[in-house]
Amino acid sequence: MPLTPAIVQELLRILGADGLVTTPEGRMVYEADMHTFYKGAPDAVALPRTTAQVQAVVKLCRRESLAVVPRGSGTGLIGGAMAPKGGVMVSVNRMDGVLEVDLPNRCAVVQPGLINLWLTKAIGDRGYFFAPDPSSQMVSSIGGNVATNAGGPHCLKYGVTTNHVLGLEIVTGTGNLVRVGGKVVDGPGYDLTGVVVGSEGTFGIVTAITVRVLHTPEAVKTALATFASITEASEAVSEIIASGIVPAALEMLDAAIISAINASIGKIYPDAADAVLLIELDGPRAEVEAQAERVAIICRRHGAVSVSVAADEMERALLWKGRKEAAGAVGRLTSSYLLQDAVVPRSKLPQIMREMKAIAARHRVIIANVFHAGDGNLHPLICYDDRSAEDLERAKQANEELLAACIALGGSVTGEHGVGLDKAKNLPLQYGEADLNFMFRLRRVFDPAGLMNPDKLLPSHPACGEGFRPKRPVLPAGAWI
Amino acid sequence: MAVSAASMAGVFAERLGPDRLIIDPGALSTAAIDGHTPRFIVRPASIDHVAAVLAIAWDENLAVVPRGAGTALGLGAPPSRVDVVLDLTGLDHVLEDNPDDLTVSVEAGMTAGGLAERLAGRRQWLPMDPPGWRRRTLGGMIATNAAGPLRARYGALRDLVLGVRFVQADGVVTWGGARVVKSVTGYDVPKLMVGALGTLGVLCELTLRLQPMPEAEQTWLAPFTSVEAAQAFAARVVNSPLQPMRLELLNEAALRVCQAPSAPFGVAVAIGSAHPAVREQGEALAVLASGEKVRVAAVGEDLWTRYDAALTPAEDEVILRIGSLPSRLADTVEVIERAFPAAERAVLITGCASLGSLRVAITGADVETVKQLVEEMRGLTADFGGAVVVESAPTNVRAAFDPWGPVEPAALGLMRAIKQEFDARGVLNPGRFVGGL
Repeated sequence: MPLTPAIVQELLRILGADGLVTTPEGRMVYEADMHTFYKGAPDAVALPRTTAQVQAVVKLCRRESLAVVPRGSGTGLIGGAMAPKGGVMVSVNRMDGVLEVDLPNRCAVVQPGLINLWLTKAIGDRGYFFAPDPSSQMVSSIGGNVATNAGGPHCLKYGVTTNHVLGLEIVTGTGNLVRVGGKVVDGPGYDLTGVVVGSEGTFGIVTAITVRVLHTPEAVKTALATFASITEASEAVSEIIASGIVPAALEMLDAAIISAINASIGKIYPDAADAVLLIELDGPRAEVEAQAERVAIICRRHGAVSVSVAADEMERALLWKGRKEAAGAVGRLTSSYLLQDAVVPRSKLPQIMREMKAIAARHRVIIANVFHAGDGNLHPLICYDDRSAEDLERAKQANEELLAACIALGGSVTGEHGVGLDKAKNLPLQYGEADLNFMFRLRRVFDPAGLMNPDKLLPSHPACGEGFRPKRPVLPAGAWI
Repeated sequence: MAVSAASMAGVFAERLGPDRLIIDPGALSTAAIDGHTPRFIVRPASIDHVAAVLAIAWDENLAVVPRGAGTALGLGAPPSRVDVVLDLTGLDHVLEDNPDDLTVSVEAGMTAGGLAERLAGRRQWLPMDPPGWRRRTLGGMIATNAAGPLRARYGALRDLVLGVRFVQADGVVTWGGARVVKSVTGYDVPKLMVGALGTLGVLCELTLRLQPMPEAEQTWLAPFTSVEAAQAFAARVVNSPLQPMRLELLNEAALRVCQAPSAPFGVAVAIGSAHPAVREQGEALAVLASGEKVRVAAVGEDLWTRYDAALTPAEDEVILRIGSLPSRLADTVEVIERAFPAAERAVLITGCASLGSLRVAITGADVETVKQLVEEMRGLTADFGGAVVVESAPTNVRAAFDPWGPVEPAALGLMRAIKQEFDARGVLNPGRFVGGL
């Protein structure tokens, strides 16, 4: 439905004059998330300050059959917070308060627009932190983290966003305000908090979030292990995990990424390395010491050229600076890239790295790697020249082959970035018709009119449409009649 | 159309084999759920069998109660009807074992004890220890969202279930989640199934996240004269860098049945880590305890064996799961203790002090006393979003009042809509779940 002047007037009444963006140049800012390949500007952008405003906007859109696209900081990587069909974008940036900090009960209640890192900044001096740490944590919103069930380097030990969300306040696609979960664990009924996290705004808009916060560990040790071969580095990762050590983070960077980082940020990692592992251990001091020794032994056994431990907080910060700014540094390497987020079982890392090399050679593309090795979550950057259609085509083919290889090893299409517009088409790789149909029906419960973030998360597939019937067991019809 | 029991039995027998159908009246009456005697007990040997049974049940509008070890049938309201008891203990195979990935895929009828035996040799475990866990099936534990002391460190089953294959009410086999430890592909369907009491689908296959067992473990017990002091000590532990595996509050009666040193209250702290780290954390623990003017004493690991044995639910027991807060433990416990004066005390209070999740086991109380206590507790916990759920109780208790307690109306509306979407005919466990679902 078009956005008529009357609807604009009504939106203005709800949001106030400074709460609505309707100019073409204003709307253009919101036409894409960080996956700039996909563009679609909304017809208007609502900038609510209150839950009541969010609810009023959703109700109005429902009445007028307008698409609603929630957005946090717009730092997603999947074509999620953009409006392929127009409609009203609801940007929650102005709802960025910390509503409550309750450290005796290790939780906090925040608004969705709050920047991830701000929460840790608000409680850090009291010895607590918010564990999910996507590389974008300096700018991404907790609401966005909830929508995508974001991960991050330290999710290896601490779990992804969903493991830290205790409760939500959500305006569903029907415009109802629903509170699910809360500070107390184990409320009766279905775990609606659990299904809303990661639903990418297709169930509604989250307006308040109760999160778990954790006590800062006693000790942290960050080590850098340098390898002459990425396969050996992968073997080291697999053995560390298999040995029962759960590092706080276990990150892999390959030669292409290392050279890009060293060129753009300064020499952080050894130039000659084929791969480095950034290994962080945290916890009680004695535990960290004991594990650090074992990790070093495992790395050396798999051919590590050197294993060095950051001597102080400055060295440690530098090691992480390279990792966290890797994506930006890739600009040195290529004008454009396709970014994957597939997951393989951790024991299959050496195998997938070998296959990746073969795929890159076959399609004559550079694939750079910087990823969460500890949980098998790959982030291959498949480089291409955006001035060449042929280059892009080869990159796409390499991308598809690599994804198929990951799934064939028992993996997953996306580990932490989410599905969005970008990966919706890939869901049938991982799910059958009955599985997709179940998800479609679940979505319809929260959003019967299909207006919440349309085209995202689920593919356009018959199983995700009305009237589809998944296969039931064939019964001996009439056998007992 | 109505079908006679005899011809229906023929269909089950034809689809599953005659030895997988039980219609012996004696066996049926033993399998009665809250007084409802089933017409059939079916013992599937495969997920296809489960699918066939549910397809028939859906078409014929039969009510199906999925059953694992049968140890948690005292959870939830009495069912509105029961036609088929689906005995899932035959689905007890390991489907895919990935030791190096710390994941395993198993059939849902496998017992937690069976899995533990398989994993012990490689020092891995599924760290989930509700009392009596060895006998329980993994599917049953997940369907009932069971939890024990280890939850303090390892989280709940929602954090450990990666993937589920289940059969929907109409017989459609469905998969959700992933086989790897990290995945956000599509909706998090496994979360929906944890704690859903099989009302949205029958769990058949599970992919689970395992954890490495700590190299060493030691438990200390701190005695307290008041629950306030116990709460204060637990708060000190929580607000420290210590990482206990268990941080369990026990009242005097619970200490007694666990054969632990006597005290009005105790906090048992289990530390699992590398050897030197266990020792160091023990020293740190002693310092924290001195802040509350008590001394911690090391106790053997068999404390947890005795805990498990003593707290395994008995049939005539009433067990309440109380969702409180760490900061509200003391007032929560005081209300319970007041309801059962010391002379007649047979009330075991235990629970995870760092989560505020308490378990209350009551023996020999009359229905009215339990009902009053639950109502009072619900009143007390309501203002901070707490909950009181009857985890296990004889039928007459669960028939006397709502064993789940209130759910926020808008949230319950969504739950109803989900149930309506996936089981409009009320085939799966009708009447047992929240709000009569």
